[in-house]
Amino acid sequence: MEAKRGIFEKLFWTWTPKTEREAGDSVVRNLLLHWFPAKVTNASLSFGYSFWLGTISAVLFALLALTGMILMFLYVPSVERAYQSIKDIEFAVAFGWYLRGVHRISAHLMVAVVFLHMVRVFLTGAYRNGVAVHQNRPLNWIIGVALLLCTLLLSFTGYLLPWDQLAYWAIMVGTNIASAAPVVGERIRFVLLGGNTIDQNTLIRFYVLHCFFLPVAVLFLFVWHMWRIRKDHGLACVDRLARTQKRIAAIVPTKTYSLLGVAKGRTVHVEASLVDEESETVPSSPNLTQRLLVVTLVTVVAVSLLAIALPTPLEEAANPKVTPNPAKAPWYFLWLQELVTDTTIHLGGFTVNGAFVGGILIPGLIVAGLIVWPFLDRSPVSAAGVWFAAARRRQNTIFLLLVLAVLVLTIIGTFLRGPFWHFYWPWDAWPEAPKHF
Amino acid sequence: MKPNKRDVMWISALGIALLITLGFVYDRHFAPEWKDYQDEFREMIAEKYGEARAAQVPAGVQQIWVKELNRVDRCTTCHQGVEWKGMESAPEPFRTHSKEPLAKHPISKYGCTVCHGGQGYAVDTESAHAVAVEHWEEPLLGAEMAAAYTVSDRNALLQVNCNGCHRYDRETKGADVINRGKQLIAEKGCRACHVINGRGGTVGPNLTNVGELSPEQYDYDRLNGKKSVFAWHMAHFKDPKAMSPATVMPNFGLNSKDAQALTLLVMSWKRRALPVEYIPGFQQADVPTPEEQRRESEMLTGKGAFFVRKGCFICHDVSSFGIQSASKIGPDLSIAVTDVQSRFGRTLEDFLAQPTGTMAVVLSTQIHLSNEERAEAIEKLHEAYKIKEAESGKAAQGEARKGK
Amino acid sequence: MKSLKRWLAKAGPAEKPEGSPCEKGATRRTLFHKIGVGSLLSGIAGLCYAMMRPLVPDVLYEQARRFKAGAPDSFPEGATFLEDQRVFVFRRDKTFHAISAVCTHLGCTVKMVNLNQPKTVQIGGKPVEVHYEFACPCHGSKYYGDGTNYAGPAPKPLEWYKLAVSPDDGALVVDLSEPVDKNFRLTV
Repeated sequence: MEAKRGIFEKLFWTWTPKTEREAGDSVVRNLLLHWFPAKVTNASLSFGYSFWLGTISAVLFALLALTGMILMFLYVPSVERAYQSIKDIEFAVAFGWYLRGVHRISAHLMVAVVFLHMVRVFLTGAYRNGVAVHQNRPLNWIIGVALLLCTLLLSFTGYLLPWDQLAYWAIMVGTNIASAAPVVGERIRFVLLGGNTIDQNTLIRFYVLHCFFLPVAVLFLFVWHMWRIRKDHGLACVDRLARTQKRIAAIVPTKTYSLLGVAKGRTVHVEASLVDEESETVPSSPNLTQRLLVVTLVTVVAVSLLAIALPTPLEEAANPKVTPNPAKAPWYFLWLQELVTDTTIHLGGFTVNGAFVGGILIPGLIVAGLIVWPFLDRSPVSAAGVWFAAARRRQNTIFLLLVLAVLVLTIIGTFLRGPFWHFYWPWDAWPEAPKHF
Repeated sequence: MKPNKRDVMWISALGIALLITLGFVYDRHFAPEWKDYQDEFREMIAEKYGEARAAQVPAGVQQIWVKELNRVDRCTTCHQGVEWKGMESAPEPFRTHSKEPLAKHPISKYGCTVCHGGQGYAVDTESAHAVAVEHWEEPLLGAEMAAAYTVSDRNALLQVNCNGCHRYDRETKGADVINRGKQLIAEKGCRACHVINGRGGTVGPNLTNVGELSPEQYDYDRLNGKKSVFAWHMAHFKDPKAMSPATVMPNFGLNSKDAQALTLLVMSWKRRALPVEYIPGFQQADVPTPEEQRRESEMLTGKGAFFVRKGCFICHDVSSFGIQSASKIGPDLSIAVTDVQSRFGRTLEDFLAQPTGTMAVVLSTQIHLSNEERAEAIEKLHEAYKIKEAESGKAAQGEARKGK
Repeated sequence: MKSLKRWLAKAGPAEKPEGSPCEKGATRRTLFHKIGVGSLLSGIAGLCYAMMRPLVPDVLYEQARRFKAGAPDSFPEGATFLEDQRVFVFRRDKTFHAISAVCTHLGCTVKMVNLNQPKTVQIGGKPVEVHYEFACPCHGSKYYGDGTNYAGPAPKPLEWYKLAVSPDDGALVVDLSEPVDKNFRLTV
């Protein structure tokens, strides 16, 4: 260590370490960095393996939290004032349009990126345990599924807050899907809305969920998610690296902790990194931190540019008397809405509501399938951490087909459905929306 | 430790990209459209009235907040000349508002959009005028909209908003188109079939709140051109069967102007919860009954007007002149001539010249009588006493006659 | 500042290959890096400003500081308290003045107390007869009838505000943004 450091060197030295030891120390000693390993493999750092989708979703969440905290000062969650306060944010608050734009774009992107992250993990079989002890990647996959659901709920609850026609009717359609659940459906909707209609009770419920409970849940799950990655010895590609190196002999416990010195039964092992090859690993500081900064900056710049380029829509104030034509759920639920319209089945005098099939049954099965799949996957360990492993070809194909179906339905619902849910090609003009004047 | 050179390059490049991106954001913040207009207006004022007055021109987003009507209008951010005198011939958006409508509808109590339409929240021309933007149902009802519908009078359309408050007026000054519409309602006998404002027949639909219907509720299948409620009503008034073939409504052969008048009138029939002080002609006051009015005018102009003028009536009746006191604290002054004698042992003239007790306080602080007034009071009191005496005399005679 | 510069310089791709032929390229890279990190830091500062600036409101939903209080004739002799705007309007025959009801200590609304007997007090060295005074319920500050503070923590007298007659309808206009001195009287 240098003898003399200026204040800035002291503050920033963890990013510019001079020796391996300093680099290792910097990670361990720094609050922000302590959850990183001291060294990372090049494979984990590469863009081609993970596309850094998890990091991007974390950055988006941070952006959402930051802009959201400011917006909380400016937004009034009351039926009388909500719409007006959004108009104020849009027109009369300095940088209000930017805050709202960034918040909206980040929210949409987060849904997409978290979904893509899940697709990536599935296609690389990264939910499989590798060769190290105490790995529990299936658990982390389930945490990931929970994070995806939380992301959807966050976006959905935030959708209502502007209290415009888009918000009101999207929530109307969305919550009515919930009411199609057998036995408890109506009850769930009643509690969710705080009544039978979308009104002040609903607004404040969604607001509190959106600003407190769901973000806290995401934060907790995120911490757990990250911690599990460390306990699972990094990304699945590291396991693969270790295997190809063929040097995983017995696991060597480097430290043993025991309670009051009485070592009984199992002890907690803190293993050294699986891959300790000079050629394969680099110190996390500055290699991981720099790449993190790159990914963060790419995300921030991209979100800002989108927020500048795309105006943030705000429709007329919510009006329970007028249903806009067409009324659509948020885009990430439109594949469900499409399913809902296509799945009402009449069998003689017996009718199965599409809302139940498309809104409860199919998404329920999908989520259940996602949760149990890691336990059903019987592919060899060698297939984990590789894109499109030959051994997993069949399940990857089926999964991709499902993803494709969801994407196609989403695209149809978003871009090809017009008034009265009629089908319109992109080059077909929609009928003109009538106005007062 | 060797940092990854490519990453460092990327960080630098992205740092620059971030700064450029923020440049766009800051440009929108520091150079909004309205600033150009404010600069221009300040220059105009400086040129015309000098720098001192130009310094008084407010800067920044201006807002008129009318709590009662739930309106937030930021129009004056650009239309800064609205309340300035002397900018009558300036080009828009700097022109002074015409005087007459503002006299009864001060901007601070009405805002702008309640009459003109448009989006008051907005601070850029396109969103504020809302003539061709989506998702705002109240466009600016000005020249542009009038031209779109080939309406010759550019102020005709905004009369739909006049009638938002003035719907129960028989005639509203300045709202000629609406007045014509109301005249037509009576002439054509619309109430034979329609309930309007709570009265009329039930052959056709109730039109009392027909302006409340959303544009989605109309059937535009038979309408050519722009799909709007205005266009639908125009077509329907000109030929009802063309819009709804099953209707029994006769074709009145209305010309365009009359059809316009009726269209604007029916579109103005909305359900509006107005604060009472905004309802035209509504007085927040006790209206006296004719009997009360007659008595009041008698008190003010009759023989006893003197006692009202001077405030004696606050405590005293003067019953022979028909003056009734509100409080009746003091005795009836009709019998003052004898009453003073019996109470104080002094003549009326003497007592008024040098009052004692309560009257001493009253006549020195509240009611100041000059010598002439004192004389007038004495004269009037004697007259009142005579009337009283005559009355009681008659009554006594009557009694006596009965007794016989 | 110096250490910042040093840090910026050091943060760069520090290891220059000494005496290598591509030294020129390396300096160019260092310059680019300095500009890059400089923009990055300014960018972050800009983002912080854009995040904080929204908390300073540009438009207000507040009562107008200048308002019409009704026709002068509608005011009775003596004091009238306008509770919405927290101001006392005094009428003495044809003259008017207005005194703030906001305690100069911590902003509570003072209460007007009518004295049973007028008392003569020294205000500014002159004896003045007062019929009423103001008392603050929060910390017991007291003011004479003309707003002069004489007891409690109040640091200065109650404000006097400008009154005017509106040219359009003759209503009394109170301007809370224009304090005036104690000699101000509006004669109608």
